[in-house]
Amino acid sequence: MPKYLSVFKQLLEAHGGPGFEEDVRNLILPHLSEYAAQIWTDPLGNLVGLVPGVGEGRRPRVLVSAHIDEIALVVTRIEAGGFLRLAQAGGFDPRTLVGQEVLVHTQSGRIFGVIGAKPPHLTPPSERFKAAKLEDLYVDLALPEEEVRSRVRIGDRVTIHRAPLDLLNGRIAGKSVDNRASAAVLLEALALLKGMVHSADLYAVFTVQEEVGLRGARTASFGLAPDIAIAVDVTFGAFPGQAPDESFPLEGGVAISFGPNLHRRVFKRLVDCAEKYGIPYQIELSQRPVGADANAFQISGPGLAAALIGPPIRYMHTSVETVAYDDIWQCARLLAHYVAEVDAAQVEELTCY
Amino acid sequence: MKDWLMRLMDFVAPSGSEAPVVQALLDDVREAADETWVDALGNGMARKRGHGPLLLLAAHVDEPGVMVIDIDPRGYLRLVSVGEVHARECVGRQVRFINGATGLVHADPAKQGDLDFDALVVDVGARSREDAERIAPIGTAGAVEVPVVTWGQSLVTGRALDNRLGCAVAAEVFRKLAASGRNVCVAFTAQNAVGARAAQAAAFQLEPRYALVMDGASADDMWHDHPAIGLGKGPVLKVMDRATVVPLEGKRAVEDAALRLNLPLQYEVSREAWSDTGAIQLARAGCVAVALGYPVRRAGAFAMTADLSDAERLVDLAVATAEAWLG
Amino acid sequence: MLLKELTEAFGPTGFEDEVRGIVRRELDAMGLSVRTDVLGNVIASAGAHRPGLRVMLDAHMDEVGLMVTHIGEGRDEGGLLRFRPLGGVDPRVLVSKPVVVGERRIPGVIGAKPVHLQEASEREKPIPMEKLYIDIGARDAEDARRHVKPGDPVVFATKYEELPHRMAKAKSFDDRVGCYILLEALRRWKGDLAVFAAFTVQEEIGLRGAHAAAYQIEPDIAIALEGTVAHDVVDTPSHGQSTVVGKGPAITVQDAQTVANRRFAEFLWETAKARNIPVQWRRVKGGSNDFGAIHRIGKGVLGGAISVPVRYIHAPTQVVSLDDVMHAVDLVVAVLDEIAKGGFRP
Repeated sequence: MPKYLSVFKQLLEAHGGPGFEEDVRNLILPHLSEYAAQIWTDPLGNLVGLVPGVGEGRRPRVLVSAHIDEIALVVTRIEAGGFLRLAQAGGFDPRTLVGQEVLVHTQSGRIFGVIGAKPPHLTPPSERFKAAKLEDLYVDLALPEEEVRSRVRIGDRVTIHRAPLDLLNGRIAGKSVDNRASAAVLLEALALLKGMVHSADLYAVFTVQEEVGLRGARTASFGLAPDIAIAVDVTFGAFPGQAPDESFPLEGGVAISFGPNLHRRVFKRLVDCAEKYGIPYQIELSQRPVGADANAFQISGPGLAAALIGPPIRYMHTSVETVAYDDIWQCARLLAHYVAEVDAAQVEELTCY
Repeated sequence: MKDWLMRLMDFVAPSGSEAPVVQALLDDVREAADETWVDALGNGMARKRGHGPLLLLAAHVDEPGVMVIDIDPRGYLRLVSVGEVHARECVGRQVRFINGATGLVHADPAKQGDLDFDALVVDVGARSREDAERIAPIGTAGAVEVPVVTWGQSLVTGRALDNRLGCAVAAEVFRKLAASGRNVCVAFTAQNAVGARAAQAAAFQLEPRYALVMDGASADDMWHDHPAIGLGKGPVLKVMDRATVVPLEGKRAVEDAALRLNLPLQYEVSREAWSDTGAIQLARAGCVAVALGYPVRRAGAFAMTADLSDAERLVDLAVATAEAWLG
Repeated sequence: MLLKELTEAFGPTGFEDEVRGIVRRELDAMGLSVRTDVLGNVIASAGAHRPGLRVMLDAHMDEVGLMVTHIGEGRDEGGLLRFRPLGGVDPRVLVSKPVVVGERRIPGVIGAKPVHLQEASEREKPIPMEKLYIDIGARDAEDARRHVKPGDPVVFATKYEELPHRMAKAKSFDDRVGCYILLEALRRWKGDLAVFAAFTVQEEIGLRGAHAAAYQIEPDIAIALEGTVAHDVVDTPSHGQSTVVGKGPAITVQDAQTVANRRFAEFLWETAKARNIPVQWRRVKGGSNDFGAIHRIGKGVLGGAISVPVRYIHAPTQVVSLDDVMHAVDLVVAVLDEIAKGGFRP
């Protein structure tokens, strides 16, 4: 039975963009401690928990990752009047930012702000049909300019202020579902795995700075040098107007990725495992290196066998990202069963082409 | 620092052609170091063994430039850029090549609108293709000439200030930390202007725990009453660029050091820069890398102005930050 | 004939198996030590434990291709295959070309709406990839599913043929010509040097195999062997040609991923000149090869690239000069000789 639904919602309310994942890390830490024999944070801030396998000799090493950073914004300038200009730390569509509530994270605490929207009354027809550009948007803190200048510094981070929302059928909407959904997958999988026997040493890694270039994944995989590395990350939920190969129904189960970037034998094992345990899945095709930690894993050091699975979400990179908790649960089941079945022979076969 | 800086600025060293300026910098720190060497990518390195964890100081030595890519039958050169250079910045200007040759850049009068490098030819006074091949063979790099001018005591304007000033700062910080027995190395890195290609190899070899990267930070005080970064207003903590986000513990260390020294601190968020910092931070299993800067007013790829007083305060800030880290 | 076999082999990026099979067969026949890594790179070595410089020679096995992404349903689209590119394929070269699909090598053609039915405005633009389909002759989706599945890779169905005056045409000279040169050079070269040959995967989507191969090999010197762009054709001035077919292998001074080490580039040039091997500079900045990844690996790697000019690179039919190919083999052997003799010190 799923046990991390409420933790997942807490994770959605935590704020942590690329390079300032501390709060999210601290939320996960006590839960990870229930399963991991050792826990540490590496120089970039990746949180690593080691769950040792059983057996003598060299045990297979499996890394599973979920990035815990969310897309964020950064203050670039304080304008006259105390209005703040922004740059991306991640990839917001600026059109989705207009009118959003935000929090500015300063040395002296969080400050509420709103991204200003020009009223239609004042907008000439020529502007109405133009997309908002980030350079033209600003945060209004509703504070006197002097107070803004004394409290806010250039480089302060800005995140979306949004409480998670329960929709019908166990579907949840909120900010940072990308990729806290996968953090929940890892926790659920660790709980499931506790009742299983596995020979692999499992490294559960909550990676940082994915949204600005898969950076945490690079150093984590280099440092841990696993045989197999599985990234868990969200993919595009089905929605009208999307191409059939970029559109995965919610509650359609785990999206398992296939393509040059992903080891074909690990992919095959994942599919077989889903079939064996009756776990719903869908196959996601990629033609280029994927936009997820698995991309960095594959070419880490001498190269390693990478895989990518994840739940589909709608409205990616907005404040209303929507996921079905059942997909999170199915991902966790697949991950746990897969890890439990990894053995030395499977590592051996990774170089058999 | 000023005379030394002006000597460093005289080297023409586009990415890939850094060897002479690297040698000059290594000569300058050799006495303070246990060993110096140049690696496969052209990084110049110096190391002083001491107590505590290893700190890497890094500053890129290269600059953007141009390169001869073809020579036409009449003896005119065709160029491509080395790093981010716009063709229009070169038109009507003199190019100084690394071998000492000088050329004058012409733009095809038939080309309208935003020029690309295909529209340019360089006259080096050659009478034939063979003549030109002797003067500036295919592959020769160069940079647009900008004479050095000083304004008052501390303002300098000219070519390649960014990042020869950072190199001078890094060398000075290295000497100070080496003198106090720290475990420290300095890398004068190559090939930054083409996308920070060499810095990771330097960090890979040295395996530092901490890194401080010195580079220019773009000032905007020409255009704003409340500039994000202004000359003469002190060193800059580089919070974010396209390759890195400053780690919180690093940011705090710098802010504490500035507070102790009673130094003003400016902050930079850059959408354009592709710094060495990210490459260093991600070498092997990662290290704590922080970039510090001095303000630079940029007028394109080749002409810029900096205030030496900022660089002097940057030396103090870097030393204090390093001491806090290294204990 | 090996070059024919290599170019006709099915090996889009990530699906290099057939090429890997040929390469391994040839390397085994030479009695070299051969292994395959976790990405699928084939790495052979001769004299791996000799002291002194470690030299890596690289050629990538993959080619640009397509991937079937969806099997069409319904009256009009039923049984037609939608696809996306695997590597940098120019959509303009796709229309009306024969292809081969999937492990079972099902033949197909790339079709589009007849020109008669296109609006005047449509005719003036290249046909976008979303409006092209692969037709394998299937009657409907169910029929198509018996032969292919989404995820199946696709390559052009071009045959290798020799043309007059020592020219040849085929698909995938980029980079089977490099694989061929590397195999022939290994066959010919005998000497005292630690030489590593990396036949890499996934160059076309970001030089990926080369990253891992270089990390494993830890070379002092690396040379990528490539098929590179040549556009020595009508209406193109010298500075737009990059290279000229028939004028010998090309040496890079700068490309999108590399600024050449000038001393090494000149060493390649002088070695060629000393042995009367024709050689030319690659006169363009765009494009790149595996050396762009290799040189940045680990502590940094010195080296460069030796490239064979290829007209219509990434298109279904590419053209090379067989003399350039043979001269590239000569040059690689000469360069190894010189390095073994101590003619280049890093």
